[in-house]
Amino acid sequence: MNPKHSLADGSSQIIHFYEAVRLSRKVLIGLASLFVILLPGGAFAHGVDESTQQFLANNEGVAILPFLYIGAKHMITGYDHLLFLVGVIFFLYRPKDVLVYVSFFTLGHSLTLLFGVYQDIRVNAYLIDAIIGLSIVYKGFDNLGGFQRLLGFQPNTMAAVLIFGLFHGFGLATKLQDFEFDREGLLQNLIAFNVGVEIGQFLALIFIVIALTFWRRYASYLQFASTTNVALMSAGFLLTLYQLAGYVVY
Amino acid sequence: MSEIEHTIQSTASLIKALAIAVIVAVVLFVTLVLPIEFGIDPTGLGDRLGVVNLISAEPEAPVVARAGEGELAFRSDETVIAVAANSGLEYKFFLDQHGSLNYDWSLDSDAALYFDLHGEPEGDTTGYFESYGAATVGAMKGTITTPFAGSHGWYWRNDTGEDVNVTLVTQGNYEIIGLK
Repeated sequence: MNPKHSLADGSSQIIHFYEAVRLSRKVLIGLASLFVILLPGGAFAHGVDESTQQFLANNEGVAILPFLYIGAKHMITGYDHLLFLVGVIFFLYRPKDVLVYVSFFTLGHSLTLLFGVYQDIRVNAYLIDAIIGLSIVYKGFDNLGGFQRLLGFQPNTMAAVLIFGLFHGFGLATKLQDFEFDREGLLQNLIAFNVGVEIGQFLALIFIVIALTFWRRYASYLQFASTTNVALMSAGFLLTLYQLAGYVVY
Repeated sequence: MSEIEHTIQSTASLIKALAIAVIVAVVLFVTLVLPIEFGIDPTGLGDRLGVVNLISAEPEAPVVARAGEGELAFRSDETVIAVAANSGLEYKFFLDQHGSLNYDWSLDSDAALYFDLHGEPEGDTTGYFESYGAATVGAMKGTITTPFAGSHGWYWRNDTGEDVNVTLVTQGNYEIIGLK
């Protein structure tokens, strides 16, 4: 009998299949429950809610604090931006490294946010958000070492974070651009919005870093690291599909 | 820059990871996201869960209940009115001044009827009427709040060669006068 088809190989194939099923089930349940929890917030997490809309439409002139608040709120409820950040800092344990990578992301998204809104550059929100979804897939895949193993090279992570940051910034810009608002005092309001985004990002990161630091004390961290990154990729794909559907339908 | 020590996955497990990620995403997308956000329900699961169009549905406007200058009780009614081919008729309600009538009418076919939603003041003999809206459509819904007490309602004219039935659903503070 051909040794390639021995009983041992057969049973290890079965074991691999069941592992895959178990992993899929874990990821599916994890994502589905996260999805159900986030769904109520999801209605506005990817847009700007009614009261903000009202404020922006009625506001005239410089309004630093309100724009600051709106920026912070948008980042804290921006699960697509936060998921990307989680992916970026997942394996970074030195505060300095976290700072460096987050700064590249901040630089990227600030550039396109300011430039996009100020120059009134219109990009399709669904396409940009689909790309943001792909950025999450990229980071999950990268965390698994996917590029090194499957493609034989490691893309410069700092450059990738900066470049994807640019897309995230356009995403932020489109949300503001969806609304008619007074151009008087635009620059100050826009900068206030950007600063708000950074404050929101900082606050969200505190929680994420605390959670990760706590989890990293346990052996389960490395055991579930790959599951978590698979879930990250899945969330990224789901987000991309959702945005592409929006692009097609609307 | 240094990362936490973690093994780079083997090719097999990477392919597996990608496949699982994609499959889970597609499954969740088709079973939950499509029905809930876009009202597309290929698996029928959204319908069973009762979540079709949950997010994107238009917010329901509240039903207006205004008795106005009178004391008519709030009521709900549904009726079917036959409008014969090439003919017209009127169907009316009595409302006090500033009373409200919520309505929703539709047809049993693809036809369109000419309608004129109007009001005639109580006790008026001059034939004066105020039109609140007129068009040729297959369905309409809304609310009117009357400028004066009197009979308010529809003139429907069927210019098609086929008999048509109008299903009229009303809620408000009124009394039914009916066909005129």
